Amino acid sequence: MIRNYFKIAYRNLLNNKVYSLINIFGLAIGMAVTIMIFLWIQDEVNFNRSFENHDQIAQVYQSQTFNGQVGTGPAIPRPLEFLFRESYSSNFDKLAMSSWTNSKYLKYEDTNISRSGNYIQEEGLEIFEPNIIKGTEKGLEEVNAIMISESTAKALFGNNDPVGKILKVNSVDDMLVTAVYEDFPQNTTLKDVHFLMPWKHYANSQEWIKNARDQWGNNSFQLFVKLPENLSMETVTANILDSKKKANKEAIQFDTRIFLLPMDDWHLRSNFENGIQTGGRIENVWLFGIIGTFVLFLACINFMNLSTARSEKRALEVGIRKAIGSSKGQLIKQFLSESLVVTMIGFLIAIGLVLIFLSTFNELASKEISFPWSSPEFWFYSLLFIIVTAILAGGYPALYLSSFNPVRVLKGTFNSGRFSALPRKVLVVTQFTVSVVLIIGTLVVMSQIEFSKNRPVGYNKGGLIQIPVMSSDFQGKSDLMRNQFINSGGAIEMATSMSPTTEVWSNRSGYEWEGKPEDFQEDFAWTEVSYEYVETLGMKIIMGRDFSRDFSTDSNAVIINRTAMEYMGMTDPIGKYLTDDDEENPEPPKQIIGVVEDVIIQSPYSPVKQQLYVFDRFNNVNYYNVRLNPKNSVSENLALIENTFKQQFPNLPFKYDFIDEEYAKKFATEERIASLAQIFTVLAIFISCLGLFGLTSFVAERRTKEIGVRKVLGATVTNLWLLLSKDFVSLVLISLIIAIPIAYYFMQGWLQKFSYRTDISLWIFMATAVGTLIITLITVSFQSIKAALANPVNSLRTE
Amino acid sequence: MITIDNLEKFYRTEEVQTVALNKLSFQVKEGEFVAIMGPSGCGKSTLLNILGLLDDPDGGSFVFNGTEVSGFNERKRANLRKHNIGFVFQSFNLIDELTVFENVELPLIYTGVKTADRKTRVHEVLEKMGIMHRRNHFPQQLSGGQQQRVAVARAVVNNPKLILADEPTGNLDSSNGNEVMDLLTELNEAGTTIIMVTHSEHDAKYSHRIIRMLDGEKVTENVLV
Repeated sequence: MIRNYFKIAYRNLLNNKVYSLINIFGLAIGMAVTIMIFLWIQDEVNFNRSFENHDQIAQVYQSQTFNGQVGTGPAIPRPLEFLFRESYSSNFDKLAMSSWTNSKYLKYEDTNISRSGNYIQEEGLEIFEPNIIKGTEKGLEEVNAIMISESTAKALFGNNDPVGKILKVNSVDDMLVTAVYEDFPQNTTLKDVHFLMPWKHYANSQEWIKNARDQWGNNSFQLFVKLPENLSMETVTANILDSKKKANKEAIQFDTRIFLLPMDDWHLRSNFENGIQTGGRIENVWLFGIIGTFVLFLACINFMNLSTARSEKRALEVGIRKAIGSSKGQLIKQFLSESLVVTMIGFLIAIGLVLIFLSTFNELASKEISFPWSSPEFWFYSLLFIIVTAILAGGYPALYLSSFNPVRVLKGTFNSGRFSALPRKVLVVTQFTVSVVLIIGTLVVMSQIEFSKNRPVGYNKGGLIQIPVMSSDFQGKSDLMRNQFINSGGAIEMATSMSPTTEVWSNRSGYEWEGKPEDFQEDFAWTEVSYEYVETLGMKIIMGRDFSRDFSTDSNAVIINRTAMEYMGMTDPIGKYLTDDDEENPEPPKQIIGVVEDVIIQSPYSPVKQQLYVFDRFNNVNYYNVRLNPKNSVSENLALIENTFKQQFPNLPFKYDFIDEEYAKKFATEERIASLAQIFTVLAIFISCLGLFGLTSFVAERRTKEIGVRKVLGATVTNLWLLLSKDFVSLVLISLIIAIPIAYYFMQGWLQKFSYRTDISLWIFMATAVGTLIITLITVSFQSIKAALANPVNSLRTE
Repeated sequence: MITIDNLEKFYRTEEVQTVALNKLSFQVKEGEFVAIMGPSGCGKSTLLNILGLLDDPDGGSFVFNGTEVSGFNERKRANLRKHNIGFVFQSFNLIDELTVFENVELPLIYTGVKTADRKTRVHEVLEKMGIMHRRNHFPQQLSGGQQQRVAVARAVVNNPKLILADEPTGNLDSSNGNEVMDLLTELNEAGTTIIMVTHSEHDAKYSHRIIRMLDGEKVTENVLV
């Protein structure tokens, strides 16, 4: 019996090559998209799951309220660690303070490379359990120890054993390699941690870190914890929620809350809005999950439509089978096995497509997904997927076809009825509605990106590079380097800064100024910069002046941005003072000497934050910002600068970033979404048109005689073309009417998450409507013109 | 074997109701060969569909082999049909995607005969119909006469007690038509009951009895043998 089903299925496929190709390729494309999205979702969902204790690991977060705005983040103060160890130790199995993941120069003999990594407490090794390949499990006991990743070991030592060797870190510290660990997997938060050094080394390395020991207000560190097995995240969060408020009375006014963010949430649910966890990348997982389902559904619709459209041909077969003794159930099984055959062939092609396009997909999605040949889970889901698709695509046709009345069919009076095409029309409308929503969505995402890219950044980001100078070799050489760079002809100006141009590394509060309202809880973005910073970046001064070597008082001067001026309620800020409200050990008051136009440092989608550009009195230099000489080409400039750099620092690698590239990275997430969405949209349209093409050829075939009669009666090709096309065009028009409000609603919602956002302009809808109609007409016309051109004699003779 | 009593069937469209069978009654005994004649639209085909359990009457009784079958559900009808009734259609109604062998095999598959037995039975029947050499051809590759032989072969492969033939020679020339009629006569002589709808007086002469119908009613009944 089954053999008979498959035989019929196979022969039917061969006898109807066009339909079969449309069905199989449509399904294959839909399935390939779904498989890739499945792999992507699996990768996202399994992020950090390779840590054995992922469900017991958490990071300590805190949220604080400034003027009604709740800020939430993982930066915590050092005293919290001591408080936890002293008064809350029963809540934790392990606690580990850590620095942020930062780049360092690692040098062994003549090899000097830059790698990122962390300083972390010894217990961190028991939380994250790096897989030790060589050396000791307790690699952080000694204050001058360093553990390095396998790839770092390879880069520094080749095939030699690194354990016991001394590394020069940032040209200052001699660190003993105690262990080599397997690189953390790509889909973990720790993927960039290529070395681990002892926290105790960090804690005593710099003055500000030492001072931070007792500063509850200095939120500059990370704290990771592992819970005992009998405690849940919720319980511990409840226990530690008010810990900081109890220990530090200042925390009360900021309503400071301490809580745990479970490791399972780090990747997908790390966004907070006003103190409430609002998701994060999980939204993309949902978005692409839905898109994948829709694309597959579109392909299934093709199968349904083409199967039922061809029903008149299959009806006779159904009638005969029923007359001979087939039951309805047997016919349903027969038609389902046909869709199973199509689905299986489609799946095989889909696997082929996935293999071909996986690397492109990885590039677009910035992933490293490999095809899971050996994963039983994948094949199990694939089987399930094939069956579900076969039922989804073949279920309705099977029910429809098997329900034919044999008497009417065999008598030849079979007429599919006035409303038999209605479900098909509904399905076509559904297909195009989904496609149009996708088109509009993609266009809105693209226009939002374009809109934000065109937002004035407030400085000249072209022809500007930054050189990270965190090694102590650079100490005190800023002016020297400035002169040499300019003299080399590769640069026209240079200034230093504490943080990169495109990031805020520090936020400060605790200042008084004239006219500051009572109870105002201020919060400023803070960076420290040198002379000529405004000049180098090309920022625009709207009041006052830049820092100047002519005024010795400028060492206590500050430049503010426009937002800060408005934030402080000042109209004439020049000459006013910001005074430190620390009563015991105040910094000298800072005089405002200039106001600059707002510069986008953080998100191009958000308003610019109130910013203090403070003159760098203590050589807090982390970056050289270099304005390249516009008279030379970029490569000439870079060669000149590198040459100058190497003369001064022969042992240090010359590293630099283009500021415009750094800035462009801010759009990476949205651009990734946009490019993936573009591909899926094109595929959705393609699949829908494939189905439409099949349906038109079916309709043209069925109406051959009518066309012949009309032609004999004098209809022109244009008349016939209009006749055959108008039905489909009107379906697409209905889709547009349904899709536009839906798309508007969803995209309006999507735009809400950007405070700097474009309006959804009318042209998007117009372009979509016109574009969709043109594509429809082209698809439909191919068949309808062919039918209209046919010689009526032939079509009438077939009677 | 068959007793119908006051059988009624109506067809409704939105505006009108047509009477297809109007209180029709007759009997057919086992081993009989009955021809049903009448002008187009007199209800012949409707009658054949009801007798073949493809359709349900709207009134009256239909006793098949001592069982009242009017009001059977589709599953019961299908089951009775596949074991007892074979069909021969005017337009052959072979499945284009199946070969001669596979077309003839189909009823055996639905009655659950084992593969080996199926092969023997199909070969026997094809041999008898003289189309064994064509067993691997598809229907489109055969002449009309050959196609109808295949259809007859398919109708008898299950050894049904009753064969219903709806204008079996309607699409055939006279020599092919005579061959098919001879086949049916042979089957009848071997004990199969045959009810045949026909327009052809020539074909009707092969039967034992002719029932003439008009407007859904029996007009006359001539016994020939």
